[in-house]
Amino acid sequence: MTLFRQFIVRGLRRDPVRGLVTVAGLTLGVAVVVAIRLANAASVGGFEAALDVVAGQTSLEILGAGVGVPEEQLAGMGWLREYGRVSPVIDRHARLETADGAGHRLRVLGVDVLRERPFREYQLLRFSRQGRPPRPQELLDVLLDATSIVLTERFAARHGIEVGAPARLVIGDAVHDMVVRGLLLDEGPARVADGRLALLDIAAAQWRFDGLGSVDRVEIRLFDASAVDAAERAIAARLPDGLRVQRPAQRGRQVERMLAAFHFNLSALSWIALVVGLFLVYNTVAVSVISRRAEIGVLRALGASRRLVLGLFLGEAAVLAVVAAGLGAPAAWGLARAAVALTSTTVNTLYVTSQAVVPPLGTADLALAGAVAIPLALVAAAMPAVEAAGVTPIAAVRAADGGTDRRRFPRQAALVAAGLFGAGGWLSTLDAVGGLPVFGLGAALAVVFGAAALVPVLLAWLRRRGRALLAGRFRIAGLLAHANLSAAVSRLAVSVAALVVSLAMLAAIAIMVGSFRETVAYWIGQTLQADLFVAVAEGGPVGASAGVSEAAERRIASHPAVVAVDGFRSVDLPYGPDRDLIILGAGRFEVLLEHGALLFKAPADGPAAMRQALGADAVTVSESFSIKHGAAVGDRIELDTPRGPRPFRVAAVYYDYSSDRGIVVMDEATFAAHYGSRPPGGLTLYLAPGADPETVRDELLAAAGEDHRLFIRTNRTLRSEVLRIFDATFAITWALQAIAIVVAILGVAATLLTLVLERRRELAMLRLVGAGRPLIRRMVVIEAALIGLVSQGVGLAVGVALSLILIYVINVQSFGWTIQFHLPVGLLVQSTVLIAAATALAGLYPARVASRVAAGAER
Amino acid sequence: MLRAHDLHKRYGAGESAVDALRGVGLELAAGEFVAVVGPSGCGKSTLLHLCGGMDRPTAGAVAVGGVDLAGLDDEALTALRRDRVGFVFQFFNLLPTLTLAENIALPLLLAGVPGRPGLARAGEAARRVGLAHRLGHYPGGVSGGELQRAAVARAVVHRPALVIADEPTGNLDSDNGRRVLSLLRDLNRETGVALLLATHDPALAAAADRVLRLRDGVEEASAADPRVARIGT
Repeated sequence: MTLFRQFIVRGLRRDPVRGLVTVAGLTLGVAVVVAIRLANAASVGGFEAALDVVAGQTSLEILGAGVGVPEEQLAGMGWLREYGRVSPVIDRHARLETADGAGHRLRVLGVDVLRERPFREYQLLRFSRQGRPPRPQELLDVLLDATSIVLTERFAARHGIEVGAPARLVIGDAVHDMVVRGLLLDEGPARVADGRLALLDIAAAQWRFDGLGSVDRVEIRLFDASAVDAAERAIAARLPDGLRVQRPAQRGRQVERMLAAFHFNLSALSWIALVVGLFLVYNTVAVSVISRRAEIGVLRALGASRRLVLGLFLGEAAVLAVVAAGLGAPAAWGLARAAVALTSTTVNTLYVTSQAVVPPLGTADLALAGAVAIPLALVAAAMPAVEAAGVTPIAAVRAADGGTDRRRFPRQAALVAAGLFGAGGWLSTLDAVGGLPVFGLGAALAVVFGAAALVPVLLAWLRRRGRALLAGRFRIAGLLAHANLSAAVSRLAVSVAALVVSLAMLAAIAIMVGSFRETVAYWIGQTLQADLFVAVAEGGPVGASAGVSEAAERRIASHPAVVAVDGFRSVDLPYGPDRDLIILGAGRFEVLLEHGALLFKAPADGPAAMRQALGADAVTVSESFSIKHGAAVGDRIELDTPRGPRPFRVAAVYYDYSSDRGIVVMDEATFAAHYGSRPPGGLTLYLAPGADPETVRDELLAAAGEDHRLFIRTNRTLRSEVLRIFDATFAITWALQAIAIVVAILGVAATLLTLVLERRRELAMLRLVGAGRPLIRRMVVIEAALIGLVSQGVGLAVGVALSLILIYVINVQSFGWTIQFHLPVGLLVQSTVLIAAATALAGLYPARVASRVAAGAER
Repeated sequence: MLRAHDLHKRYGAGESAVDALRGVGLELAAGEFVAVVGPSGCGKSTLLHLCGGMDRPTAGAVAVGGVDLAGLDDEALTALRRDRVGFVFQFFNLLPTLTLAENIALPLLLAGVPGRPGLARAGEAARRVGLAHRLGHYPGGVSGGELQRAAVARAVVHRPALVIADEPTGNLDSDNGRRVLSLLRDLNRETGVALLLATHDPALAAAADRVLRLRDGVEEASAADPRVARIGT
């Protein structure tokens, strides 16, 4: 320990910049990994926390096949009371307009207050002042009036709402005038979604949400809560067709599975910064070993064993990792908040609406930071540490007279690179594991490490070939830069490799995102044919939502410019052995065939197949459904219906990029026959030739009047909205990548600084023979820019290979999407210039130090 | 104390191979002081490295205190260097992150002597070489002569049986060179440590009990050389 302190800790203090840069890089890497874990936990946790609180004492719940539980079926299920207390619930979202005209999304629970008490306790502010909860009769009195609504104390305080105030509740396109009759004390269910909760009487909720005759679920609080398994089995056996029983937590698990691929890919991205940070650890320890070779030789000559030397340098990595883990965990919390902000659009648009709150940092997160940083840092440091242990005592005298870079890169490095590239190719042919692209990521890693192995080989080649070019272009500064870099190939190799890895990932992601964007742009260009799109407020990605009212649809269809109207209905349906939540949609196939367009993947004549599906138990499925569930044209899939499972023939598979959950679409008539009629969640309008969409939109909105809230987008605005959501989805990707590049550039700066400090004598000599400070500075900046250019060159080449894995393996396995390859040349050229400039800038500080060191050494 | 027999050392292979030593032998009794002299590249340092267990011969045998070094694995050879040999190098080779006291105490630390008693013994050794006032200084802050005196103190602090000194005055001015020589000679006489020293300096060689003269990796003469003594006077 004494020697560790004297030799390693003081060594780190002697060269603080390198140590600090490494700690900073590793800290960022650790922070990003922990942050993404926290952010992922927050997005699922927000939903699950709300689920837990709303579920209250519920042991089991009964759900219908996508369209709720019909009350007529419920009437025959009195036997449920043999197992426990039973309460029906309506659980929807709506929009509350406050006096200032602003709209707020609220979760609305419609409850049967007489049966509700055993499930959830509501503390009304008025009664809490009396120190007691309201009696059922008192709660009933509050909610009995169909215009009554109860809000939360927290929400009311935030928006200055008092008991007795009027409130406008927007459900679908309809506006309902309500009166706030009570406020829930800020505890228990009232804290769901930061207080955005409203309570209605169940009958009022059924009426307001246009759902008379059915409830969203029936909750059961078992008499014997410990016998859930037995009760679940028994109830399942007695339930009529079309209904299923599950635990409330099952919905959380479904959401987790829905988000699994998205989270998995985010986590994988977050590890890039850590991998780059680990390169920095390798670099620090390797530079430490190389520059202290003579000192290690002395230690060995004086009797230090190989094991002791190994321990010293592994200890150096461990110290850096411990500091990075200690700093990284708290930094992760801040980053997690940023990550939640960046991913909330994606999660809320595509998966689940939830109030994601980053959980406070726990010991598990600190442990994760340590568990991530320390073993990996030890692995990163193992190679240079083993090299240190192999230093012979004779090095004490051999390296004392100069310590030049004598290491040679064997051809084995090229073979290792080739082997890794081959392994990457093979791994990319393997299937997903549990819906996750485990081997695909393995293939990407193999390519990344193959690129890292290739770097020293390439640098050695450039050492032989680059001299004339540099001397010709930059004269003496170029010649000196080449000489300096040539003398330090082994020291530079790791920094350059780290930068190559980051840049390769950046290029790959740029190509993948660019390709995806082009594909989506083409897809919306082909499929978004309608002129206007009508939507209502507060349609969420999961859960029942209100639709466009019949009156509004009639009014819209009667507009003289409207030639055809298609309505899209959708429900969530559990599907397959894992009961994944898919989207079951219904549209008017005839309208779609005549006016719209789908991009069909199979069969060749998709429209003909779709025509055959009219009036038949046949469906078209999205590509992601087809890939995830192995459903091909001609197959029969079994869907839950209110009358039990029914087979449907797959008529066609179409390209879709709106959701990776998997979509099954049937004709409106087929849907109505199996699931009953249901208002459409949105309408697409086809206008007469020559009609101006903007004008028609304004006229439709004017006709809707004050009592209807419709959102009508033109084709152009919807397309730009789709691309806006697309870009928001990848904001987190760019952010994570930017961090990895910052870490890598830090590494280059640190390495250059080390080289400068080690070349003091040469620099002084250069000054003595007449080299001015500007020349010295130019020389170092050229070195930095060269490193950037070489890294970007290799990074681009490897990035193209990586992008193929991302596009054709990882994306397909994660999301089931076909992406057309597209090379964003302009973006890649821009990034090349940017990287060369950034690395040249990173060389400014070492350049300044170089000019100072030279002047100092002269004196 | 030290017996080296028919030592050969070849560096490299094929056409670029260099024979640094070709059949050199040497015996050194306890308390004896032998100087190895010869022109640059004659194999002086190589011989010292082989005798001190820093390197292994291509052929031939070295025994220290009756232990054949060829039979020792790396760990045992490390232990032998740590416990029985002390080294003084031309370029001092003190560790820059350790104070002079810590540098001197390093062999004790490696041998498992706890820090405080080790530093106390280092202090004694430093006083002996006239460095008591520099104990807390780092190598970067003291003169070359002081550095080499610290190196001498480090070489003897753990009371080895053999001290190997490779050009110990080669990087010093004549005053400091004389002082270091005097130190080594005194230690050799007072503690009975065997001293094997390579040098270009005739004065240093003249102080030895015997002189081993090398040229092109072979021995020229192995008796006390009166000419060396004459040149030195």
